[in-house]
Amino acid sequence: MVIPWVGFPLHKLIQAVEPTGSAKYVEFVTLHDPEQMPGQRSPILDWPYREGLRLDEALHPLTILSVGIFGEVLPNQNGAPIRLVVPWKYGFKSAKSIVQINLTETQPKTAWNLANSREYGFYSNVNPAVNHPRWSQRKERRIGEFRKRETLPFNGYGEWVASLYSGMDLEKFF
Amino acid sequence: MDKRAANLKNCVLVAALLPLAFLAVRSYLGELTANPIEYVSQATGWWTLCFLSITLAITPIRKLFKFQWIFPLRRLFGLIAFFYACVHLATWVILDQFFDFESMLLDIKDRPYITIGMSAFVITSILAYTSRKSIRLALGPQRWVHIHRLIYVIAILGVTHFYLIVKRDTTEPLVFAAIIAVLLAARFIARQKK
Repeated sequence: MVIPWVGFPLHKLIQAVEPTGSAKYVEFVTLHDPEQMPGQRSPILDWPYREGLRLDEALHPLTILSVGIFGEVLPNQNGAPIRLVVPWKYGFKSAKSIVQINLTETQPKTAWNLANSREYGFYSNVNPAVNHPRWSQRKERRIGEFRKRETLPFNGYGEWVASLYSGMDLEKFF
Repeated sequence: MDKRAANLKNCVLVAALLPLAFLAVRSYLGELTANPIEYVSQATGWWTLCFLSITLAITPIRKLFKFQWIFPLRRLFGLIAFFYACVHLATWVILDQFFDFESMLLDIKDRPYITIGMSAFVITSILAYTSRKSIRLALGPQRWVHIHRLIYVIAILGVTHFYLIVKRDTTEPLVFAAIIAVLLAARFIARQKK
């Protein structure tokens, strides 16, 4: 599926709070409520689920804070009331049910990287050329479709975001 | 084979095909989750491990409770496990990869969990084929037993295949590992006692 989110660019929020010069990263802390979310009752991940972006990634016009989907208010399972959408990165970077946003100087800890740093990096840009240690990232199947398709670098948004990473070794900074 | 044994085998066979029937019904009703291919793949793999575990449990149960009538079911459960393994493989070849053989060969070579799964399937095929009475008689008891001890390898490969494919929640593969460890230990202990 290609999802029609309803929201606004994150940079509007960040600019409104006037970050100081020492802000290098944005950290997102999400809801930890085992009552509402039974999956959080077991320590599968280090709760609360945390994510982060480099400041320039956060200020990019394609980074969205979303409050709705398909023209409706976000349902709980899609990350109500407000969630992140970073379309050129693997889905787990798009943190849901955000309760706190911090501007930080050092790279924030992220849930999946803490769980398994060999498999989940901080950047996690969609990259068919760099495999997950256990499986390939070369092909994908869109939900609702049958045949697989070749995965595109940066999920097809390379034209708009590749410049953020020029000069970076994307095999090292996966 | 006497009538009761035949009836028992038929009942077991019908019961063992129910999971597949439920999958077919779910498919018809469109209730295969938002990711149907993954769901069918996971379900058929899970049932393969289930029937493999049951097959491994037959001999310990027979020895423990002296249920001699259970012995003919061992081959039946083994073949059912092989059948589900075939469906699991077919799901991968047809639904997931859609006959992209180049991609599949690369996967078998590069993805450890697929190398392991494919190895398990090949060995299972060998056991299914040599379970036939004519082949069993031709091989003779010693060689046949040696070949069929490979079921222990299949069990370990199968559980490892499952363990390697889960993203984070390793509960289910570890439960299977524990069950199979117990069943293998039971055989090992029984052999020591001899």
